Amino acid sequence: MADQPAGGHAPAGPATAAGPATAAAAGAASAKGAGAEYGVGIGWRPEIAGFVTELPGLRFAEVVAESVHAHGELPSGLEALLARGVTVIPHGVRLSLGGAEPVPGDRIEHFAAVAERLAAPLVSEHIAFVRAGGIEAGHLLPLPRTREAVDAVTANVRRVQRSLSVPIALEPIAALFDWPDDELTEAQFITEILDRTGALLLLDVANVYANARNRGTDPEELLDQLPLDRVAYSHVAGGAEHQGLYHDTHTDAVPQPVLDLVAALCARHRPPALMLERDGDYPPAADLRIELDAIAKASGYPAVT
Amino acid sequence: MTTPRSPGQPGGGPGGLADRQAALVEALTAGRSVPEGFDGFRFEAARVALLRKRAGEVSRQWPMLAAGLGDRWKREFAQWAAARPTQGSLRDGWDFARDLVSRGALPTMAALELAEREASFHYDGQSPPKPRRAPALRAIAGAVVLHAGRSTWIMRRP
Amino acid sequence: MNDTWGIPGPTFLIYYITAMVLVAVLAWFHRKALFRGIRFARVDQLGPQQIAYLNGGPKLAVYSAMGGLRAADAIGTGPGRTLVQTGPLPSGVTPLDSAIYNAAARGLRARDVFTDQSVVSAVEQLSDHLEQSGVAIGAAKLREARAWALAGIALVLIGVARIIDGVANGKPVGFLIPLVFFAVILTIALYTRKRWATDAARRHMRSLRDQNRHLSPSQSPSFATYGATGAAMGVALWGSSSLYTMDPAFAAEAEVQRIAATGGATGSVGGGGSDGGSGSSCSGSSSCGGGGGCGGGGGCGG
Repeated sequence: MADQPAGGHAPAGPATAAGPATAAAAGAASAKGAGAEYGVGIGWRPEIAGFVTELPGLRFAEVVAESVHAHGELPSGLEALLARGVTVIPHGVRLSLGGAEPVPGDRIEHFAAVAERLAAPLVSEHIAFVRAGGIEAGHLLPLPRTREAVDAVTANVRRVQRSLSVPIALEPIAALFDWPDDELTEAQFITEILDRTGALLLLDVANVYANARNRGTDPEELLDQLPLDRVAYSHVAGGAEHQGLYHDTHTDAVPQPVLDLVAALCARHRPPALMLERDGDYPPAADLRIELDAIAKASGYPAVT
Repeated sequence: MTTPRSPGQPGGGPGGLADRQAALVEALTAGRSVPEGFDGFRFEAARVALLRKRAGEVSRQWPMLAAGLGDRWKREFAQWAAARPTQGSLRDGWDFARDLVSRGALPTMAALELAEREASFHYDGQSPPKPRRAPALRAIAGAVVLHAGRSTWIMRRP
Repeated sequence: MNDTWGIPGPTFLIYYITAMVLVAVLAWFHRKALFRGIRFARVDQLGPQQIAYLNGGPKLAVYSAMGGLRAADAIGTGPGRTLVQTGPLPSGVTPLDSAIYNAAARGLRARDVFTDQSVVSAVEQLSDHLEQSGVAIGAAKLREARAWALAGIALVLIGVARIIDGVANGKPVGFLIPLVFFAVILTIALYTRKRWATDAARRHMRSLRDQNRHLSPSQSPSFATYGATGAAMGVALWGSSSLYTMDPAFAAEAEVQRIAATGGATGSVGGGGSDGGSGSSCSGSSSCGGGGGCGGGGGCGG
């Protein structure tokens, strides 16, 4: 997954300083190593560990970084996956990279230690904030698409990159509301951050769908504007509609329009890996297999089930 | 608004990103009014979704509490949690359960779960629960639990 | 000088301790021989209910079947803490499944399911088969092992008699009292250590548990994903607290007792259970604290 030629698109914007430059170089270096495609993966969760272990064709999975102990014992199912040679990517959800406050040092340390622990080729986090003024929101919250917010994210990403020995991929989130004073379009905002940090993109197709649907815009238009050659991997998840708004719940089935958008993305530039993200209300194993197969079909990757 | 700021971190000025983010989080979690300029309907939808999600997380930590309230679980928890920012799902459920006890509204089904935790952990409501070293006996709504060493015994079921 | 029973105190104490050690050691060796089982007996081909029986006896076998039936949505609870049928009996069920399912049709109180005639005979059938395969300890062997408790009782009686006579004789009994106390403990241990799996089966059980770690309550397994067999196996390997993970309301309504899947049938929840586990596993670092990641209700951004 670290194999996308980050160098191709890297610091095009006003990227400066040593931080992002070295990070981009590291990304590009490890990118040249393997040209491997990982195909279809799944978010590893303890609740479905037994199901994930049984997937014969699985080559990559993602784990919530905060759920892994940096030094203690690994969850047993995860251990088994690593022993099988499955690549496991730590996915941070609580760093709050978009917070105006600097990410606390202990969180960065834990994140980096987990990456080492899993021997992961890259890590990922969100372009969002989860706490402010000492209060936990318990949720990924959107940033205003302003220069000030770009500066805040960039400062935090660089801070994290200094502790990492592997590239980081950043994921734009699904938001139910926008800030009133956006200066940049979504594509400009994302691209600016990627350019200034040298980070890769974790493109969540369901988020693209959810945002477009709730804003009444065309999701494919966003795909056309994003640097798709920098997509490290993609999330695919389900959602549901409440009171006219589409919620990216991760607890419902993946709807057909999201699968169609996966196909549209892959027709433009297929990411080296795509994965199913499910976080609760887990369905029977057969239904999960159907979803994994549907992602395989939409992306043209071999089925892992 | 006392947020830790480091030199060189953007968004530090008054009315800057830090203050605006803090105001947003307070509006979402502590029952403050929606910050100016935001779409009220969408903001409210996000607030409700957040509470629903929190209820789901707490029910995983406190399955008997959630099961005991049944259909009322999400509504009652959301009502209680609306103006209380999360302290993590373990503590959220614990605080809510204690609140129910004080109102005499703890479901019988949940009594044992709470009694077991009260007996095996020391929780002052302010800082994270710590495992008890000393033996402890706790009685809650008819459930009596004895904790000693690393074991817990149910002395009486409600 | 007249020693009590003509035996000097210190001499009696030595005799007494020797007898106690002898009973303990002999009982242990006898037990070892009785519970050895057939060395190459396999447990990996056993069904969940059979494994449940080996881990926790008849009650856990019944709970394992109930877990499977509940996960298949065949049974539920009705008014008055009874069992009711909620759907058709799935295919490929065991006689124990059928017995419980039929009992549910009669609206049996959930706690009475263990004494229901057809359930009892289904469990007997299951245990007989396991005994013949050398993985379960038969009733006869268990009785033989427990007979050692008689030796323990004899020790206690002799000790008590000596204390009474000693006191009457004006002799010190300070050392004997704690020894008799130990004899009581030994007797209880010899009598109550109920178990069902032979040593051969127990060894295999360990690896079976390792392979099925994902079903442990500490993982809050999604039994919807693992299905009826997974639910039954979760109960079999990790105890009846799995039922509380799977369906808290059902488990509470059915008054499911918590039986650990290691032998003893007690109300203890100490050790590996799910209780407080997630709370205590917080290391205080960034891995815990306020607010979760994604999941649950709705509108997660990630």
